[in-house]
Amino acid sequence: MTAAFALLGYAIAAAWCAPALLAPLTSSDASVRPALAAWLSAMAGVLISVTLGTALIAAAATQDLPSLARVLCRGVAGTACTPQMYRSALYSAGVTILAAGVTVAALAALWRYGRRARRAVTKTRLHAQAALLAGRELAGTGAVVLDDPRPFAYCVAGRPAAIVVTSGALAVLDEPQLAAVLAHERAHLAGHHHLLATVTRGLAAAFPGVPLFIRGRDEAARLSEMAADDTAARSAGRRTLIAALLSIATGAAIPGASVPFAAPVAQGRLAAAGYAVPARVERLLRPPGSGTAAMFGLVLTLVSAVFILLPAVLAATAA
Amino acid sequence: MRGFGDLEAVVMQRVWDHGGPVTVREIFDELRETRPIAYTTVMSTMDNLHRKGWLARERDGKAYRYTAVASREEYSARLMREALAEAGDTEVVLSHFVAAMDGGQADALRGVLDKLARRRPS
Repeated sequence: MTAAFALLGYAIAAAWCAPALLAPLTSSDASVRPALAAWLSAMAGVLISVTLGTALIAAAATQDLPSLARVLCRGVAGTACTPQMYRSALYSAGVTILAAGVTVAALAALWRYGRRARRAVTKTRLHAQAALLAGRELAGTGAVVLDDPRPFAYCVAGRPAAIVVTSGALAVLDEPQLAAVLAHERAHLAGHHHLLATVTRGLAAAFPGVPLFIRGRDEAARLSEMAADDTAARSAGRRTLIAALLSIATGAAIPGASVPFAAPVAQGRLAAAGYAVPARVERLLRPPGSGTAAMFGLVLTLVSAVFILLPAVLAATAA
Repeated sequence: MRGFGDLEAVVMQRVWDHGGPVTVREIFDELRETRPIAYTTVMSTMDNLHRKGWLARERDGKAYRYTAVASREEYSARLMREALAEAGDTEVVLSHFVAAMDGGQADALRGVLDKLARRRPS
């Protein structure tokens, strides 16, 4: 019975404290995939704990209410807890209401998640379908063009998925830059980043105000961008990708040759501006060394394992 | 590539190009010139598009006359509204290549890059 409270206690602690632990480890962006894995593991660990803890409490409330009442009473009041207290009808009623409340809260979160995720999937598919029907095919690329003067490019999952480029974007991109944009979008689709976004946004909606799920959703989005940048930079070149980023973000054509490459730049100068685009540009200008990446990767992998294993250990030892 | 939505897209383009009401026979005759295709395939494709809300139809004797519910431009505008609003909180999941920066942000970034370019050892 104490296992249930240990699990719920862990879930609450991790949901509020894990972001403070993970943020410094993942903000360097040295090791993108292990960083993503760490955030997802933290979220998964909390979900497992909440599910197990709730299930145990619900089971105890229906099968063995007196012992649940005793454990709870001792947990709260310690030695001041007397059998007269936890055997009273009033106390039993309170415990029943508490157990029902925990169960209802968990089911409500599940319902909110399902509603949000289902709507996201439907609307996303419809958007992809509409883009494929209304857009003009961009020969030889599999992407479609929408007529709009604003430079803009995005991908949207569906059956099939769509990569959309506006005519405004085509006007400011040269051919290698367009290839870099398309490589970035294909990396999103190939990496199933839309699935990641659907799940993490669904969780943020299911647990409103919980720091881990809010931060986790934002970090998943940010790290997905970095992962797609890495893939695109490998095929199209870092300089071309930076030029493409700047061209679309500023709406003015920027030739790839004008982008300084491996220039001596004080770390943090661009990111200090606090904008997403400068941070991405800076990261592409100064890619993290392989040693740093490996070190962060190792630490993050260990942290991920702890997040997943801890609930199992708690459930096993406290049982 | 486009996958199995392909024929629907081709038919929609043709309907838009026509401007006015059009029959399955007319679309079929056009498509037959560019690819081998069965009349029933075109018919079921246009029926699907009607069911999905892209084409409106009116009975004209034995056949239907189809028209696009909205123009291509209207669909494009709607898609862009949805895509740009995503930065806020619509439910469509899509990945922007990059969000547009306002003038100040763009100038700041360009300034830093210019400085870097000057410092580049040549």
